[in-house]
Amino acid sequence: MDKFLTVDADKCTGCRLCEQVCSVMHEGVSNPAKSRIQVIKWEQEGIYIPVICKQCEDAPCMNVCPVRAISRDPEFGFVKVDHEVCIGCRSCVGICPFGAMGYNGDTHQVFKCDLCGGDPQCVRFCEVNALEYVSANRVTSQKKRKGAARQSAAERQAVALG
Amino acid sequence: MALDRKIAYINLTTGDVEIKPIPLEMRKKFIGGRGMDAYLLYNHAPEGCDPLGPENPLIVSGGLLTATCASATARTHVMAKSPLTGLLGSCNMGGFFAPEMAWAGFHHLVITGRADKPVYLWIHNGEIEIRDAGRLWGKNSTDTQWAIRDELDDEEVKSMVIGQAGENLVTYACVMTGIKNAGGRTGLGCVMGAKNLKAVAVRGTMDIKIAHPVDALEHNKKFIDQITGAKVNQIQGALGTPFIWGATNCWGGVRTRNFQYNQMEYADEIEPEAIDDYAAETMGPHHMTGCFGCQVHCRAQYKIQSGLYKGKYDEGPEYTSLGAFGAEPDCKSIETVLTGNHLVNQYGVDNLEIGSMIAWAMELYELGILTSKETEGLDLRFGNDEALLQMVHNICTRTGWLGNVLADGGIPAAEKIGKNAFDYLIQVKGMNNLHSDERATPGLALNIATASRGSDHLRSRPAIDLYHLPEPVLRKIYSSPVPYEGPLSSEHTEYIGKPWQVFWQENVYMAVDCLGICKYHTVFLGATLPNFEDWPEVIYYNTGLEFTPKEIWDAAERCNNLERLFNLREGLTRNDPKKGDTLNHRYFDEPCRRGAPDVIGKRIDRDKFNVMIDEFYEHHGWDQDGVPTTETLKRLGLEKEPTRLL
Amino acid sequence: MADKERVSSSESLRSTRTFGKVRCHNPSCMGRITPPPGSKQITCPTCGMTYRLFWVTPELPRIRGPVWDVNRKLAQETLAKKLETPDSDSK
Repeated sequence: MDKFLTVDADKCTGCRLCEQVCSVMHEGVSNPAKSRIQVIKWEQEGIYIPVICKQCEDAPCMNVCPVRAISRDPEFGFVKVDHEVCIGCRSCVGICPFGAMGYNGDTHQVFKCDLCGGDPQCVRFCEVNALEYVSANRVTSQKKRKGAARQSAAERQAVALG
Repeated sequence: MALDRKIAYINLTTGDVEIKPIPLEMRKKFIGGRGMDAYLLYNHAPEGCDPLGPENPLIVSGGLLTATCASATARTHVMAKSPLTGLLGSCNMGGFFAPEMAWAGFHHLVITGRADKPVYLWIHNGEIEIRDAGRLWGKNSTDTQWAIRDELDDEEVKSMVIGQAGENLVTYACVMTGIKNAGGRTGLGCVMGAKNLKAVAVRGTMDIKIAHPVDALEHNKKFIDQITGAKVNQIQGALGTPFIWGATNCWGGVRTRNFQYNQMEYADEIEPEAIDDYAAETMGPHHMTGCFGCQVHCRAQYKIQSGLYKGKYDEGPEYTSLGAFGAEPDCKSIETVLTGNHLVNQYGVDNLEIGSMIAWAMELYELGILTSKETEGLDLRFGNDEALLQMVHNICTRTGWLGNVLADGGIPAAEKIGKNAFDYLIQVKGMNNLHSDERATPGLALNIATASRGSDHLRSRPAIDLYHLPEPVLRKIYSSPVPYEGPLSSEHTEYIGKPWQVFWQENVYMAVDCLGICKYHTVFLGATLPNFEDWPEVIYYNTGLEFTPKEIWDAAERCNNLERLFNLREGLTRNDPKKGDTLNHRYFDEPCRRGAPDVIGKRIDRDKFNVMIDEFYEHHGWDQDGVPTTETLKRLGLEKEPTRLL
Repeated sequence: MADKERVSSSESLRSTRTFGKVRCHNPSCMGRITPPPGSKQITCPTCGMTYRLFWVTPELPRIRGPVWDVNRKLAQETLAKKLETPDSDSK
C-alpha cells in the first residue's frame, strides 16, 4: 500500500473537526488531548497547521523502542505500537521530531495515528481537503504540475518584462 | 459525558467558589446553554438590580452538545441583566471558548460580586482560581489573550475577555474570544468591566464521553452533508456573512444614512466579492476560517493594506460591520470598513451598536440637533470616514463630551442631547437595530419589535421568508413539530401568517442556543437545514438523552417564556417606546425611497402591525399586554418560578 | 431509539435545492432566472431589473449587485409614480 496521509496546511481552516472525530473514533470520547492529530495555530497571524504522524520510513520511534514494540503494518504501511509488548517507557514520545506520539494519562499507554485501519476519519470529515489520503505517485505528480505552472507563469512574466 | 459537566458559582467579592452537578430533570426542562442561562438569570438576579452592581449575575455557558461529536458546537452564550437596556442581556459567540470550558469540566458559570481590583478567572480541569489581572488591565482584546497564555505558559488556553471598551464601561461593550469572535449584543463586556473581571481563561483535557460513538460519528457525517450541501452555506463558505448584506442591499433592505434610505447605491467597493478579493490578495486563496468543528468556514481573514493600521491582521468583517461602517454612516471605502472592524475587535465593542450610534449622531449633526460645539469641532457629516473612525476611538475611550455621552447608550444619550433626538434613534427596547431596514418585510419588522433582547435578528427572524418559498414548502417547515393550520403567505411584503413564522423561529433559535450550535446549521438562512425533527438523534447519540421533537419545542418555548418573565419583571410593557414591543415611528411614517420597484413606497401599516402583535401574543398564550397567562405558565411548568433549583 | 430510515422534513426538502439559477430580487417577481454559465450580467425578463453576477462555483451563481444605472432609473421612475398617488402603497 503506497497511500499516505498528506497535509496541505494552506487549506486548513483551523476548525479542529479532525481532532474531534479522531478522539471519538479511537477512544469513544471527545477530547483533543487524545486525538492523534492536532492543529497547531498561530492565531495572531491566522496560520493553522495540522500535525500528525508521518509514518516515517526510518522511524525514530521504532528505532528508539528498547523492546521492539513498534513495527510497520504490512497491509497499510503505518507504524504501530503493540501494547502487549510496550513497557511504557515513553522513549518514543520524547524522540518523535513531530510530537506525533501521544501519551494517555488515563490508560498509561502511548498512542499514535493508525490511519483508522485504512479509512482515516480526519480525511473523511475534512471538507476543504486540507487532509488527503492518496497514493505517493498522485501527490508527486500533482506537486509537479503545480510547480511547473508556477515556473511557466514566472517565465511568461520574465518574457513580458524582458 | 456531556451530562456530567458542572455548574460553578463564583463570588468575586468573597472569592467563594461552589461547584455543583446539573440535575437531569433540569436538562429535560431547560436543555442547557441559553435556556438554562435564562433559568439562572431569572432565579439569581434580584428584581430591579443595578446591571453594574455586584448582585447582577454574569452567566457564561456552553450548550448541551458543546464539544460532543456534533457539528459546529462552538457557541458560547453569556447572559446577565443588560446595562444597555435594563432588560435581558444575552449574547452568543463562536470560536473555541465553550468547547474548551466543557473539556475543563464546566457547562455553566454564575459569576456574582465585584472584585476590589482587576482579576481574571483561571479554570482548568475542574479547578477554578481567581487571579490578579493588574498587568492585563488596559490591554486590547487580543493582547490580553496572548498575555494570559504567556503567564500560564500554555498556548492552548482559550479566554473570554474584555478590551478597553468594557473597562471604560461603554454600555455596549462586547465579550471577545479569539481574534474577532464577539458576544456583541446588550453590553455584557460592560458587566464584566463593572465586576473588575478582565477575562475568563479556560483549558481542559477532560474526556467528554460520547454515549454512542459509532452512531454519533456516522450521523455527524450525514448532518454535515446536509449542512454543507445547502447553497447558502456554500456561499457563506466563499464570501462569509457579507453576502447577506450584499443581497439585502441589492433589493433595498439595508438602512442607509441612519434611516434616511433603505439602500446604499454604488457600494461596489464594499461588496462581499470585493472584500473577498481583498482578503485573497492579503491572505491567499484559502483565506476562510471557521469556528470549532464547523465545515461552513464563514469567516474571512485579511490584513489591512494601507493607512494607520497597515499590516494589521484581523478576521471578518461580518455583515454587521458593512452596515456599521458602510451604509449607516454612508462611507463607501473598503479600508474604512476593514479598519472599523479591526478597531471594534480590538476595543471589544459591539460593531452593530457603535455604528448605529454614530450614524444617529451624524443625522442629528446634519439636522443641527448636534452642533460643532458638542462634537468639539469634528465634522460629523455622513460620508466622513475620518470622523466615523475618530468617533469609534472617542466612544471606546470615553473621550470628549459626545464620545462620553454616546458611550452610555442610545436612550440615555438621547436624554442628554435633548430636543427630539430620540425620534431619530432606530432602536427597540433601548438597543439599536442592525443594519437592516424592515419596512418592506413585515415579518422581519415583527421579529425585531418582539425580540427578547431588544432589536435583533438572531432571536426570531424568519429570514427564509425572503425566498418566496411555495406555500407547501412553508407549511412543511412551519407545521412541525406543532401542527399549524392557519394562513401562510409566500409574499414577504405581506402580513399574513408572519406571527406564526416569527413564533416558530423564536423556538428554533432558542433550541439551537440551548444545544450550543450555530444558527447557520438550522432554518435561519436556508430552508433545507436541520431543525426540531433532526435533533433528537444528535442529542441521543451524543448524550444518551431522549427527546422528541415536540419536547425540544416545549423546552424552547419554556425558556423563551422565562426570558419574557424576566423582561416583564424588569419593566417591559407592550407599547412603551423605550422598553416595549414597538418600532421607531419612521417605520410607519416614512416610505422606502430606494431599491427594487416593489419595495419603493413600502412602510409598515400601523394597524396591521398591531394585529400581528396580537396574533403573536395569542400563539404564545400571552394576554393582550404580552403577559403569559396562568394557563400558559402551568402548561410549561413555570407557575412556581423562581424555584431556585440551581 | 431512532429510526434511521426516517426522512425528516429538512432532508425531504433537499430535493428542492436548485443550482444554476438566481432569483430576481423584486418582491412581486422573485422569478427563477437561469443565467448562461459564466455570464456576468442578467436582466429579469419580467421587471427589467438588471444584475451583475458572481459564480461561487461553476454551478452556483449569485447576484453580486445591481447594475446601478439601470436599477436606479427604475427605482426613481417608480418613486415618482408613487409620489403622485401616495396612498396606493402603504402596506
